Amino acid sequence: MMKIKKTLKQTALFSLCAALLAVAVGCGAGKSLDVVGNASVTSISAVFDALPAEITVDEATGAWALSAPDNSARFLWAPDYSVSGMHDIMLEYALQPFLEAGLDVGQLPEMFTILGDQTVMIGTKLGDDRITYDGAPTPIASYEKLVELYRDTVGYHAALDHHNVSVGDGNLFEWADDLRTNDKDIVFALNPEPLIAAGVDPEKVEGWAYTTVPIDVNGKSVDVYKFLKPFDLR
Amino acid sequence: MDRQILSVKGMTCAACAQRIEKTVRKLAGIEQANVNLASEKLFVEYDAASLTLPAIKAAVTKIGYEVEEKSEYSRITIPIGGMTCAACAQRSEKAIRKLDGVASVAVNFATEKATIAYDPAKVRVSAIKAAIEKAGYQALEISKTDAGDEDRARKQKEIRTLWTKFTVAAVFSLPLLYIAMAPMQTWVSLPFPNALAPMKYPLIYALLQLLLVIPVIGVGHKFYTIGFKALIQRSPNMDSLIAVGTTAAVLYSAWNTWQIAHGRFSAVGSLYFETAGVIITLILLGKSLEAVSKGRTGEAIKKLMGLAPKTAIVLQDGAEKEIPIDEVETGDVVVVKPGAKIPVDGTVLEGRTAIDEAMLTGESMPVDKKAGDPVYAATLNTNGVIQFRADKVGSDTALAQIIKLVEDAQGSKAPIAQLADIVSGYFVPIVCAIAAVAGLAWFLAANYAEIQLPIGKSDTEFALTIFISVLVIACPCALGLATPTAIMVGTGKGAENGILIKGGEALETAHKINTIVFDKTGTLTEGKPAVTDVLTVAGIDADALLQAAAAAEKGSEHPLGQAIVHGAEDKGLTLVKAEQFVAITGRGIEALVNGTAILAGNRQLMDERGISLSALEEASDRLALEGKTPMYIAFDGQLVGIVAVADVVKPSSRAAIASLHSMGVEVAMITGDNRKTAAAIAKLVGINRVLAEVLPQDKSDEVKKLQAEGRKVAMVGDGINDAPALAQADIGIAIGSGADVAMESADIVLMRSDLMDVPTALQLSKRTIRNIKQNLFWAFGYNVVGIPIAAGVLFLFGGPLLNPIFAAAAMSLSSVSVLTNALRLKRFKAIRQERVGI
Repeated sequence: MMKIKKTLKQTALFSLCAALLAVAVGCGAGKSLDVVGNASVTSISAVFDALPAEITVDEATGAWALSAPDNSARFLWAPDYSVSGMHDIMLEYALQPFLEAGLDVGQLPEMFTILGDQTVMIGTKLGDDRITYDGAPTPIASYEKLVELYRDTVGYHAALDHHNVSVGDGNLFEWADDLRTNDKDIVFALNPEPLIAAGVDPEKVEGWAYTTVPIDVNGKSVDVYKFLKPFDLR
Repeated sequence: MDRQILSVKGMTCAACAQRIEKTVRKLAGIEQANVNLASEKLFVEYDAASLTLPAIKAAVTKIGYEVEEKSEYSRITIPIGGMTCAACAQRSEKAIRKLDGVASVAVNFATEKATIAYDPAKVRVSAIKAAIEKAGYQALEISKTDAGDEDRARKQKEIRTLWTKFTVAAVFSLPLLYIAMAPMQTWVSLPFPNALAPMKYPLIYALLQLLLVIPVIGVGHKFYTIGFKALIQRSPNMDSLIAVGTTAAVLYSAWNTWQIAHGRFSAVGSLYFETAGVIITLILLGKSLEAVSKGRTGEAIKKLMGLAPKTAIVLQDGAEKEIPIDEVETGDVVVVKPGAKIPVDGTVLEGRTAIDEAMLTGESMPVDKKAGDPVYAATLNTNGVIQFRADKVGSDTALAQIIKLVEDAQGSKAPIAQLADIVSGYFVPIVCAIAAVAGLAWFLAANYAEIQLPIGKSDTEFALTIFISVLVIACPCALGLATPTAIMVGTGKGAENGILIKGGEALETAHKINTIVFDKTGTLTEGKPAVTDVLTVAGIDADALLQAAAAAEKGSEHPLGQAIVHGAEDKGLTLVKAEQFVAITGRGIEALVNGTAILAGNRQLMDERGISLSALEEASDRLALEGKTPMYIAFDGQLVGIVAVADVVKPSSRAAIASLHSMGVEVAMITGDNRKTAAAIAKLVGINRVLAEVLPQDKSDEVKKLQAEGRKVAMVGDGINDAPALAQADIGIAIGSGADVAMESADIVLMRSDLMDVPTALQLSKRTIRNIKQNLFWAFGYNVVGIPIAAGVLFLFGGPLLNPIFAAAAMSLSSVSVLTNALRLKRFKAIRQERVGI
């Protein structure tokens, strides 16, 4: 009994010391253990800085919009979910390449919205939170609110060293953790399945790469096909 | 030379055992040092003039192991009444300590008990109690723990501790393994909390794993303390392999956790905390199973120890008093009631009873005992009440000698263990080198050659995986356990069957025996010859002849002479005193009876004295052909008759010989009898090679001749006049009784007189050696196959890469499998006469 007690004591002591070490490591990282959330804010801020002209307010939805350098796609995020319309985070992209690849718009599921026969929009209504800001809302402040309130939408893509926001149904907007070292600074990633089901021949979609990427699904890394549109901002 | 057995704690593998042996053997004055890894005992033989036991203990302690001397002191706890304060405790302590022979004493006032270590040879418990009484306190009823109980308790505690450690490790490792593996596998959808998703919350994911692995490392801290200490002292052992392997995994993972904390989130895929955690857990599981199995290998000794009663009833001042067995002194009068066990060896003073001596001699029939007969400790008094005088107590009893003999045998080494010993000495350093070289080679290959690494692994991770796998798959434990466990179980099983094998070497040699020589009288036969015929020449009265011959033989100790004396006594013939008695070794006797020179003996004796046997030649031949021994009797140089003596063949002889023949062993009989008698007996028991008319002093030469033919010879005899032949034979097998185990010249002692134990002993030897070979094959084979696989040889040719976790599991299972195989020997069944069908 004495030996068992001694063993448990030693274990407890050792555990305590090591736990302190672990906490120290954790604390060393910053104020929060959510290193990905924090880094995503820092890195998207760098993206915003790199594309000042492409950050606008979408007149139709009132959301912030980050446009691809070639204006073929946009990532949008709402500053206040209580007043946003259909979605709080969304992707918009040009319809034409998909039509040319065989898309039958009539066969797209309801979640797809066709805007003026030119653009497709897909997104998620996160909630109806009334969001307030110290001062006027800014793109980065709104993004911070997104991380704060709906952290699960934000992820990390280790293979490309990318952060991402999942707008729903496997559609993502990704950006590099470090713009200086990454040659794919921002990436629009689409779930190809509903599009293929609606007649798209994935090999014929111009301007989008059809390839597999490892993504995080419910904590698991899974290789899936995506339509990708990467941009190097340098 | 002094001999001691020390319990050594902290050994984990054969390398440890080797290290201790090497260290102790370096000490000046050491004659022999053997470590039995299975029983965790160090057997030392040393010159007490130049080396002390504390020096040996210090040498072992210095290299990192704990030593517990198998105490020559008995321990006893005496409850003390009448103490009122701490000063009383001190006073009684002082009183006890003053006694010569008391090694240590601690009186606990709170529990009112004195715990005393004492030398029973110097001080009796009664004296200790008297000292307590003299100091003014009451010595109350005693509870006693002997060394066996302590050892048992220590082992039990060790097993409990190991299971506790394993349980703690498993409690933390299982969730750790789940957390680490669930997100990585895709073939089945396991629920996993989003809050721990490695791609979303990598630092939390890593820190949680770190927190889970810490308690596992905590419970496995001994691997690190012992392992690194051994490494620093340049004598790495199994712990060093575990320590280095898991430390590498933990440090690499901790580094990657730090990387995650500082923004390199991709490092989340390079965490190996679960590898370290699961390795430690599996090794602890293996060690727990090993401890349980090791305990079972020593059960035979425990059973033997358990035979002795704990208390005895002695007569003190005319009253019966029950006292602990350690308090019984030589000369005490002990009372044993029906159903009770005899506590010590002694001689019956009063009463008649039948005693079941099966536990010592194997004889199932109780033996009648009356005044003057010997009784032995641990035997069972079946009916009457007897009083006997204690002649041998403590370590002098027959039971204690048997236990010591078995213990010594279990601590000895078989020559077959030498290879494993040599390999163990170099094993761990070589494994370390292989691990380092393989890791480095793969790292370089990944960088400079076009090697396709497993998906998701960097070159460093791949090299690390190889390095850890090699370290943890290597198992020196299995090598170290292969031989001693089998010897322990084998010799223990022998003891259970009344076969005392004196050491590993005897056990190993016995399996090679292809020729067995049996002594005739007392071995193949009962050794109680009786007069069957008295033939005389014309004019001589048969009774007168027997009377004269018996008178002449009165001084003889030879069984045949005694048979003649008994024959005359049975007929009520009065024996006059003989004069000038001379025993003529191997031939007979001569003496003067009532002025007549009487010569009694065999044909050789008569031939040498020029006495013609023609008058009784025909009768003599007939008697010999009937298996009877004719003893020629001559008065004043003239043959006057023959007294024929015959011995009864043991019931088991024929079956034992048949059994040996079926095992392919050639059987011979050796005897001083004439050829015809010998041939007749041999025919009766099924022996076809007879060495007759061999003088006792020539028996060893006959054995030598057989050995010169290239045979491995065992000699079976009664251990007295056969001593030279027993010593000359490759294996001397003495048939005796459990009460007479001090048969120095024999390698194997059969406690019973049942000859079926001879084939059983050979069979047990064969089975044990086969078991050892199997163990060594698995132990070597496992490492020979496992290490290259762990080093990535299969991967090199497109095969799989061994996960370190599976390497650890395999390593744990290897030693457990060796132990399990050794324990199979427990199922060994003695060869019985009924099974031979004769």
